[in-house]
Amino acid sequence: MDQEINFNQVTHTYQVNTPFAQDALDNVSVTIAPGSFTAIIGHTGSGKSTLVQHINALLKPTTGEIAVYGRTINPNTTNKNLKQLRKHVGMVFQFPEKQLFEETVIKDIMFGPKNYGVSEQDARRDAEDAMKLVGLDENLSEKSPFDLSGGQMRRVAIAGVLAMKPQILILDEPTAGLDPRGHKEIMDLAQELHDQQHMTIILVTHQMDDVVDYASDVIVMDQGKIVKHGNPQEIFSNPQWVYSMHLDLPSSAEFATRLVDEGVPLRHTPLTIEKLADEIAQLVQGGQEHE
Amino acid sequence: MSNFLFGRYLPGKSWVHQMSPQSKLMLSFYFVIVIFFANNVWTYASLSVLILIVVVMSGVSIGYFLKGIRPLIWLIIFTVLLQILFSSGGHVYWHFGPFSVSDTSLINGGYIFVRFLLIIMISTVLTLTTTPLAIADGVQTVLKPLKKVHFPVDTLALMLSIALRFVPTLMDEMETILNAQRSRGVDFGSGSLKHRIQAAVPLLVPLFTGAINHAENLSTAMEARGFTDSEHRSKYRVYRWQRKDTISWVAFLLVGVLVLFIRNN
Repeated sequence: MDQEINFNQVTHTYQVNTPFAQDALDNVSVTIAPGSFTAIIGHTGSGKSTLVQHINALLKPTTGEIAVYGRTINPNTTNKNLKQLRKHVGMVFQFPEKQLFEETVIKDIMFGPKNYGVSEQDARRDAEDAMKLVGLDENLSEKSPFDLSGGQMRRVAIAGVLAMKPQILILDEPTAGLDPRGHKEIMDLAQELHDQQHMTIILVTHQMDDVVDYASDVIVMDQGKIVKHGNPQEIFSNPQWVYSMHLDLPSSAEFATRLVDEGVPLRHTPLTIEKLADEIAQLVQGGQEHE
Repeated sequence: MSNFLFGRYLPGKSWVHQMSPQSKLMLSFYFVIVIFFANNVWTYASLSVLILIVVVMSGVSIGYFLKGIRPLIWLIIFTVLLQILFSSGGHVYWHFGPFSVSDTSLINGGYIFVRFLLIIMISTVLTLTTTPLAIADGVQTVLKPLKKVHFPVDTLALMLSIALRFVPTLMDEMETILNAQRSRGVDFGSGSLKHRIQAAVPLLVPLFTGAINHAENLSTAMEARGFTDSEHRSKYRVYRWQRKDTISWVAFLLVGVLVLFIRNN
């Protein structure tokens, strides 16, 4: 099955034909490759969330069309038969712990698979697998989700999406409000799903360090348009441009530019802390050779 | 939902926008009472002219008003049809069993239609030109006399303003939860009645728990900022009676007197 996600001249206007009409996407054309780890960045209100909600047809384009998972979504697409698409496209919203509702953790995670007609036993098995995947202890399964801590609740919510075994996983700021440890765990989980289960991961984020640490592709949005699409190196190569998009550099790159400003001759702009360490090590060794 | 204009605020700087909320509230209330005194073509005509002037002065295009009426049109048609088919008297044009259509019933149906239209128009003008918080302040001012009988006006006004403030927040939250559950394979608004009611549970439970969390956080935050009770507070927004209010009241009272004078003639 073709897993490519292809936006073809998509525009989206909220509350079309009312005095409150608002353009959110402006003629967007982009292809997200199957198996990629794509980060979508852009400052608040640039249309990131609107873009990703088109992928599983929660929003439909005002004009243009989207091809995803063998389906074409255009302005005339009806709400019927979208279930199969949504099974394949898992979507984790911002603060997903808000969507929990069942009496027990396991029932909540089973909810998704059961909606897609999976039998009770299989759904339970899928749910238990998903709990393991997100690192939830087995003995939590009969607890009420409302008794858990914030971080655990978020894992239950993510497990609820993973239990449906999606091929495409959309994460809309999955680490917002988490402590540094929870943050790293969730991001490592995303990478594991990408590397081992070959999921297409689409990550909406404001954390530039996550973008360079995890993503292979980056889409930069500004005012409803895609202004750049490339690998992290291409995106962050021009600090002036990055700032003009109201974005930040990854912290290593930021530190490196300051070093350069102070007269330290770095040859490349390193994006990760490892690369930065390499650059400095080379510089120090190079210096020794001269002596 | 997003096309529902009734009860929404449209920012602007028109005459009607600048009037004080308490006088707008009372004017709307007064106007609705006057509508029920109208009983012939001339009274309805003068009220319609008045409302048209108000709509023009509000600076909102007529198209939006018509859109605001659209969701209620079936209710109006249903009521008008009942009126036409079931009222008796006058010259009968057509009848079948209990149904009949006569000249009086047609005229009464027309009046009911205009009456609905006028009430919807005036309330739409009110909500389109007044922020929800201003409406809450207006209600507080209007209800002030009830303090004499120990009615908790300030508490009610506080509850009203908090409720109005959270309507859009809860709507947004509902939208997100709706979308999240849709992504997990829930079909809202399809299937049998039983199925539909069951589909509401994954929406309602998170919505309620969210509301309880909001209430808890909000009350803590209010206490931390020195809130003890709603009675001994000063006010930040003060709406004064202006000349615009006086002029509007004079115009409305004149039309009211006119209606009383020409009814039954």
